[in-house]
Amino acid sequence: MQRQDPKSQIPLKPIELLVLSMLSAGERHGYGIRQDIIAHTHGDLELEAGNLYRTIRRLETDGLIDESSSSSSSSTDERRRYYRLTPFGKRVLAVELERLRDLVRLGEERRVIGPTPA
Amino acid sequence: MSLGPRVQGERLYRLLLGLYPSSFRARYGRDLLDFYRARVSSVRSRREFMAVWTRIIPDLLSSAIAERAGALLGRARVRPERSRLDYQSEDSMAGLLQDVRFALRGMRQRPGFSAVILVTLALGIGANAAIFSVVDAVLLRPLPYTRADGIVQLSHLAPYQTVSEPEFIDYQRGVPAISSLAAYNSGDVTLTVNEEPVRATGSRVSRDFFAILGPTPTVGRLFVPEEFDPAAKARVAVISNGMWRQQFAADSRVVGKTVVINGSPTTVVGVMPQGFSYPSASTSFWTPWRLNPDSLWTRNNHYLNLVGRLAPGATLAQANAQVRTLDARWMHDFPETYSPEQQLVGRVVSLRDAILGPTRPYLIALLGAVGFVLLIACVNVANLLLVRGEARRREFAIRTALGASSGRLLRQLLTESSLFALFGAILGVGVAWSGATALVALAPADLPRLDQVALDYRVIAFTIAITFVTGLLFGLIPAMRELRNESADGLREGGKASASSGSRAARRTLVVAEVALAVVMCAGAGLLIRSLAKLRAIDLGFDASNVLTMQVTLPARRYNDTTADTFFRGVLSKVEALPGVRSASLDGALPISGSESGWSIQIDGRTVKTIAEAPSAKPEPVTANYFKTFDIRVLRGRVFNDRDRRGAPPVAVINDAMARIIWPGIDPIGRTLKMFNPASPWVTIVGVVADVKARGIQEDVPPTMYFPYSQSAASAYYQPLQMTLVVKTVGDPARLGPAVRAQIRSLDIHVPISQVATMETVISDSIASRRFTTLLLGGFAALALGLAGIGIYGVIAYGVSQRAFEIGLRVALGASRGSVVRLVMGEGARMTVAGVAIGLIGAYAVDRLLRALLVGVTPFDPATIALVIASLIIVAALACALPARRATTVSPTDALRNG
Repeated sequence: MQRQDPKSQIPLKPIELLVLSMLSAGERHGYGIRQDIIAHTHGDLELEAGNLYRTIRRLETDGLIDESSSSSSSSTDERRRYYRLTPFGKRVLAVELERLRDLVRLGEERRVIGPTPA
Repeated sequence: MSLGPRVQGERLYRLLLGLYPSSFRARYGRDLLDFYRARVSSVRSRREFMAVWTRIIPDLLSSAIAERAGALLGRARVRPERSRLDYQSEDSMAGLLQDVRFALRGMRQRPGFSAVILVTLALGIGANAAIFSVVDAVLLRPLPYTRADGIVQLSHLAPYQTVSEPEFIDYQRGVPAISSLAAYNSGDVTLTVNEEPVRATGSRVSRDFFAILGPTPTVGRLFVPEEFDPAAKARVAVISNGMWRQQFAADSRVVGKTVVINGSPTTVVGVMPQGFSYPSASTSFWTPWRLNPDSLWTRNNHYLNLVGRLAPGATLAQANAQVRTLDARWMHDFPETYSPEQQLVGRVVSLRDAILGPTRPYLIALLGAVGFVLLIACVNVANLLLVRGEARRREFAIRTALGASSGRLLRQLLTESSLFALFGAILGVGVAWSGATALVALAPADLPRLDQVALDYRVIAFTIAITFVTGLLFGLIPAMRELRNESADGLREGGKASASSGSRAARRTLVVAEVALAVVMCAGAGLLIRSLAKLRAIDLGFDASNVLTMQVTLPARRYNDTTADTFFRGVLSKVEALPGVRSASLDGALPISGSESGWSIQIDGRTVKTIAEAPSAKPEPVTANYFKTFDIRVLRGRVFNDRDRRGAPPVAVINDAMARIIWPGIDPIGRTLKMFNPASPWVTIVGVVADVKARGIQEDVPPTMYFPYSQSAASAYYQPLQMTLVVKTVGDPARLGPAVRAQIRSLDIHVPISQVATMETVISDSIASRRFTTLLLGGFAALALGLAGIGIYGVIAYGVSQRAFEIGLRVALGASRGSVVRLVMGEGARMTVAGVAIGLIGAYAVDRLLRALLVGVTPFDPATIALVIASLIIVAALACALPARRATTVSPTDALRNG
């Protein structure tokens, strides 16, 4: 399959970035992604199904994520659909995070935020 | 897709999933449902459940709309390359501002179009919100009483209406479905606060009255049980909130102050909360009624009103059944009280029905009308936007060709629709506010709870949302179609940009619907207007023009029969001496506004065993000039003169109805009658006068006997101290008010004068609800007619501009002006005829609901229908005339060159 340049997907929308980041830990189903995001943002962001699946739809259409082939392996409910990062998705996430790291460094240099604790 | 047991709200959620495009649903529907279940599984309380749903609904709606828009635009499948240009215009505030500027420019470029849409929106939103605010306050909002659902009224059907004291005591014990029952009766008294006598309405209430209605006094307390003790001496009263504000300036130290009620000093113990207006809005105070069960009035003395509370779990039907069982038993046990011809039938109705009953059909009619107007407004907005959208297909085609993304154009349209909705809403709130204010000012004073009308912002929000969605939907449809097609098509069709046949059909259907709705409204309004006209044309039996009336009440402490007679004689001679006065007289109860009351009488030559068998007639004490003042026709014999005074042989004048009922086919002159009372003398009938509508324009005329005021103490039990002065004037009667009042005050400064009004006002007040409704409905019908006209104009004018090429060709080929006009008018005529036909069917169905409000016209009155059809045709013709004229001026060369 011919893949596009990861840069064509940059910048990601915040929700897309969050979803991809959560999936970097391994495959998740929709509700699991929501719970992970709540945990990660300390409850600041509680996604509801509609916009979450809309994001999933977009990411899936663009080939950043796909449905896990081993959906039923770890779950008692085999009808649940699990999503995982595609190799392309992983690259896009990496490129985006690099971009953000540059921004974070810039912010540190200009004293917008303090330096990352070592 | 069954996933185990259903969870709460799942059915609704599944239903809402239908909002997504089917492809999205097929792929993610099961996941969404799964997500929902997981979400709800952690919910612990109902409150939390509602909180979850308040988050789910906006999320679902916004994502569904976005998905649908994406699917329609064909963007869902491929993610477009993001160009730098797109970032600049899509993701910045500048883009939005640009959209707004562009939309405003568009509005300014088509001022006529914009104005029509804005006016339509403003009227639709405003009228709807104003009427709904009134209906909500009067009809829909819960009554301001504790657990108002369980409160009932118990009364008797005619002829008894009210309840007697022994009946009240028996009902209290004998109706298990009603857990507590209270009696009250109201009357006007002279109330003196700070030396100033006024007429006020008060209610005597029995022990459980306040417990049933459950008010909390604003100041002070309610009555305590000892105050209902027959042996209690202290006179106490609770006053209304209105009286507290007016007479005591809302002073909380009012408790303990003394007011004088009919000469008796009475201590104020409490003030009712605002909004407590039972039994009526005019009630100023309540006093305890000390009913002594050991000395009750007779069973045939019906004068009490009853209010009660249903026992827990009991129904109205049970209460009614139990009441009627009791009534049937009494009919059997007390044959001397209840005659077999006059069945005693009790009736228990909910308080809400009792209070709102008479007003309900009017307000429902108004609410229906206003809904129609909103519908028509939406149709018009939809229509205009469809036309506009079609006209802009070319613009969109060009912009797409020049590289504007479809999302950008969509956002542009959204911005325009939103701006229209915003401006329409601002204007609409203005209309609603002034409309509600005007409504309250115009509304009849007897409309219950009118003081609680407040502009309802929920309604405004609702109407704005409806019009906005309509605008959005119909503004987007043509654009969507255009954007989905290859944009080159729009360019190729070029300047013609002719409307697709589908949308033309849609527009015609909308206009036909509009015309049909207008027909229904106009027919309804027409029927009510004709009813009002018929009502005003009814012969009242008297001449109300140039008559001034006012109530004069002599304090019972200072006046007896003789002094009252002297006082009134003095008043009449002084008033008749005033310049501009033709004649003056006294009347016990004014025509039209009289109440239901009849006294049992005996007729010479007829014997009856019990009072139940005796005929009854309405007594009316009057003075000599009464018949002259009201110009009541004398049919036979004579009317009263100054010789018919106290001590002279007692005489009476009866009305035609009484003559026909009691002496059918016999000349009643010279016959005698007397009250059903051994002490009353026989009274000779000296004259018969025409029937006068005593109780209301639509009410039957009761058999009536007139007595000379000076003789009424002897011949009709007593001589009333409260009389209405009736003055016939040469010019405007209202102008004489102060002079007449001054004459009365010159004889006794402490006599209360109240209810000063012209007789015309008394009559028009009696049909105020009807006039109000008719006026409003007429206004709405006119609005509907106008909007339908605008709708027709929009479609025809657009059609003409679209067919300029065709028309030009026809003219070039030799078509006459006449045939061009026919071509244009023909289209309008077809839509009008279809709309009228459908509307007539609708009118037949809907206007039957108005039956209760019609007087002297059938629900399908031919004259009204003809008039409605005629006005629709005129409006349609006017709407077509302008475009038709424009069509005849089409220059064939221009049209062909541009085409």
